[in-house]
Amino acid sequence: MDNMIRTVNLSKHYSDVKAVSEINLNVRKGEIYGFLGLNGAGKTTTIRMFLGLIKPTSGDAFILNEKVHANNNELFNKIGYLVEIPYSYPNLTVRENLEIVRRLRLISNKKSVDQIINKLKLDQYANRKAKNLSLGNAQRLGLAYALIHNPEILILDEPTNGLDPAGIFEIREMLSDLAKNQGVTVFISSHILGEISRFATRIGIIHQGKMVQEIDANQLDMLCKKQLLVQSRDIYAAFKIILQKGYSNCELNNNTIQITDPKAINMPEEIATLLVNAGCPPSLLQVEEENLESYFLRTIEINGGVK
Amino acid sequence: MKYLTIALITEFMKLRRSKIFWITIVFFIFVPIMMGLLMLVAQHPDIAAKLGIVGTKANFFGENNWEGYLMMQNQIIASVGLIGFGFVTSWVFGREYIDRTITNILALPVPRSAIVSAKFIIVAIWCILLAIILFVTCILIGNIIGIPGWTQQIFSDFISKYILISGLTILLCSPVAFIASFSRGIIAALAFVILMLIMAQFVALVGLGPYFPWAIPGVHSVPEGTDGMKIVSASYIILFVTSLIGYFGTIAWWRMADHK
Repeated sequence: MDNMIRTVNLSKHYSDVKAVSEINLNVRKGEIYGFLGLNGAGKTTTIRMFLGLIKPTSGDAFILNEKVHANNNELFNKIGYLVEIPYSYPNLTVRENLEIVRRLRLISNKKSVDQIINKLKLDQYANRKAKNLSLGNAQRLGLAYALIHNPEILILDEPTNGLDPAGIFEIREMLSDLAKNQGVTVFISSHILGEISRFATRIGIIHQGKMVQEIDANQLDMLCKKQLLVQSRDIYAAFKIILQKGYSNCELNNNTIQITDPKAINMPEEIATLLVNAGCPPSLLQVEEENLESYFLRTIEINGGVK
Repeated sequence: MKYLTIALITEFMKLRRSKIFWITIVFFIFVPIMMGLLMLVAQHPDIAAKLGIVGTKANFFGENNWEGYLMMQNQIIASVGLIGFGFVTSWVFGREYIDRTITNILALPVPRSAIVSAKFIIVAIWCILLAIILFVTCILIGNIIGIPGWTQQIFSDFISKYILISGLTILLCSPVAFIASFSRGIIAALAFVILMLIMAQFVALVGLGPYFPWAIPGVHSVPEGTDGMKIVSASYIILFVTSLIGYFGTIAWWRMADHK
């Protein structure tokens, strides 16, 4: 598959602050690559380097196998982007702002402005000044800037900021459709794993400027920790019985036995039988799966902790 | 050329909707009206005596005729023009940072140099328009209040000097654009303009006005033969070089600086 976005040891340092350190990633055609990290992790700096807004201290970024630099203007016509909160000329209407982008994107089709207004459901705000837009609609306008020229690659920095749940769903569906049916490659940053995991095909986790993990989204479930939770009227007796049976990785916390032994997680009914037969029946038996947020936090904690 | 035209159209679209554009026009009409008022007071000593300090200021014209009045307009374009044109420049360049739209115009098929050049062209057109407004208002007000001593020769001398001073003042906009871009806003650029205006006064006092770019338009506006106020060829070279440094420095900044 084609490498649409590729970085080679991409780094950006400000004095002694390493904003981004030796990032290596590949994004293939039609992928939705979720770029995940806390605020200040280096997501926006990386994205700015993809767009030639910031020069790397070392390493390179390649888009469509062309090295990115500020004057590679032809390349920018194939990219649609949204960096952080999108801003518009406040005294210009939505339509006028888009008209400026249409011209600067060298789009000859004048209808493209109306088409994108319609696509992003901005029709009723088309003649409203940008300064009077709600945050959600300003975000939609920013997405319209990114999509107006039907780019091959979309680079979006937290594009769902300010959108309501319906808006988030709509944008997610639209991006999935673009990737699946039109082969558009989407690079999307976020600090919410739960949101990204719903439609990204691959996820990269960045922390303190370093790439700490890159995984296929369908592997995510397997990587999330599972544990069996057991409660009983006589919790100490139950704990003893379980240990005596040879189950490993058992802990007793807050009157709950937490077992991470795969044998127990895969066959919890055996624990139930064991405790019933020993006269200490369980009052709770539950396989709990780690949620995505705690998986994300655990991943970055392993790699330097949350600061 | 295609890119420059496109960038120019978009800059025009931004300017058309801007309140600042209309505010500067009102300001450049207001200034000659005030000068006309002072001239009127100067022409009528009885009124001047009653007005105290305003009456004193009115004596700035020297002779109360067209020659003195037009010479004052040249000094106005050299000083107020410097501030006004500086404000226009700092706004055209600095607004992209204040409105935080700079990111929208940096990764496009249109090169950054075309966008910067289009901004400079818009600044030049805007400033020329302001200079014309000041000129027309000044002539109209002069006629309305009936200033004596109009001759074709005085007018011809004035208009050629006025065009030259306006042009030189406009050329000094490019370093302001660089400061606005470098400082990512308009405040530092405005401070720079005011500082240059103050420095120009001091430099002119010690007789180095013809060699300090921001003093050169002012040196042009004083009567010929004034001590230490003689323009030499080097004056033009210094001003042009300053302008070129500002222009290319701004382009280099937009193309090469980190835009965080």
